[in-house]
Amino acid sequence: MSIKTEESSNYEYVVARVRSRRAKLFDADDYRKLVRMGPSEIARFMEETEYEAEMNALGTRHAGVDLVEYALNRNLAKHFDDLLRFADGDLYDYIARYLRKFDAWNVKTVIRGVYTESDREDIEDDLIRTGEFSERLLDRLVEAGSIDDIVELLDGTFFADPLADAYDEYESTETLVPLENAVDRAFYAHLLDDLPRTEPDTPTALYREFLEAEIDFRNLRNALRIARSGAEIDPSEYYIEGGRLFGPEELRQLARNVDELVARIRESSYGSDLDAALDHLEEAQSLIGFEHAIEAALLEYSEKLSNRYPLSVCPVLSYILAKEREVENIRAIARGREAGLSVEEIEEELVVQ
Amino acid sequence: MFELAMTLESVATVLQQDAGGPAISAEAAAALAVGLAAFGAGYAERGIGAAAMGAIAENEDLFGRGLILTVLPETLVILALVVVFVV
Repeated sequence: MSIKTEESSNYEYVVARVRSRRAKLFDADDYRKLVRMGPSEIARFMEETEYEAEMNALGTRHAGVDLVEYALNRNLAKHFDDLLRFADGDLYDYIARYLRKFDAWNVKTVIRGVYTESDREDIEDDLIRTGEFSERLLDRLVEAGSIDDIVELLDGTFFADPLADAYDEYESTETLVPLENAVDRAFYAHLLDDLPRTEPDTPTALYREFLEAEIDFRNLRNALRIARSGAEIDPSEYYIEGGRLFGPEELRQLARNVDELVARIRESSYGSDLDAALDHLEEAQSLIGFEHAIEAALLEYSEKLSNRYPLSVCPVLSYILAKEREVENIRAIARGREAGLSVEEIEEELVVQ
Repeated sequence: MFELAMTLESVATVLQQDAGGPAISAEAAAALAVGLAAFGAGYAERGIGAAAMGAIAENEDLFGRGLILTVLPETLVILALVVVFVV
């Protein structure tokens, strides 16, 4: 369901806007200030920055950390929607491909909302209105009364078939897991769909590589989490096609033995970029640290690409990642302060470049 | 084969005899040079202009800088204009 516009890509325009926005993101100094603030101070700080409009719009209905979180989501949606509005031609396609992740998020949110019989307004607040779904489709999804209706509404999108397949399983087990898996897998299955295989070292090839890396890391994370939780789940059942690093069989074996897994990644092409992350995993044996290190490595890599290929999709991608990190960082700070964590503990949760 | 070569040779001799002056006059060549330079400048400005508009949309203070950078390739045309006075 990729929309191809006939126009050529307008890299210059989009990249100029994106770079300017990227420069306005919070830097390490801002984070240092933020972690030392209380929840209400954070809200006040945000009212004076980029998030002012959202904070004011939502201020009447929410308060405290919820307000911060909803404002973050809404601001994220606004910026990413802008990107889709700016971009034409191939560039639109490249951006939309990654932002469909929010379509998947929205579908999952709506399904969960219907499952727990939440209010219409609650579901609506949790949506992130970006991605390829139209406003109208989202509104109708929120109004849907049953999961059956949702599956029907999604007819025509690429979530339709996997969801319809998973629906029977949902009916027999009464749990959401099959549906949520179906949504995630549909997203990843279409991530690389008809993305051209161009010659190596062009921006498009690097973009493809980046998406493949994303899939590899997702597989890796799933495998590690399953191994850590000690659950008797077969990792290959959750395997996502398209990565470069592991096959399903290999992943199953490696998930049982973390040392072997680390050695395997070190040998792979990601080895040099992920050195810090791997050291973390070996020393501390902590998954959270490892996951943050992966995020930081991805962020740094995307920044490197954006400097090397200024007129390509790379700067846009780098901005999207940085913005996502910012939203997650602020959320971590706000939630952490609310829960009374110490400054050091929160700082460990942050991924700052 | 041999005959064909002979014919070609005779045609070449005729062509050489006919080729008198250059295909176009010096003035026309200079005009062409300016035109091509303007075309190149226009193409360069396309990208810069788009980027400048993007930057100005984000921050209006960049208007002056954006304008200067946009018209910078125009110097190409001015330099090419020298050719017109030389010939």
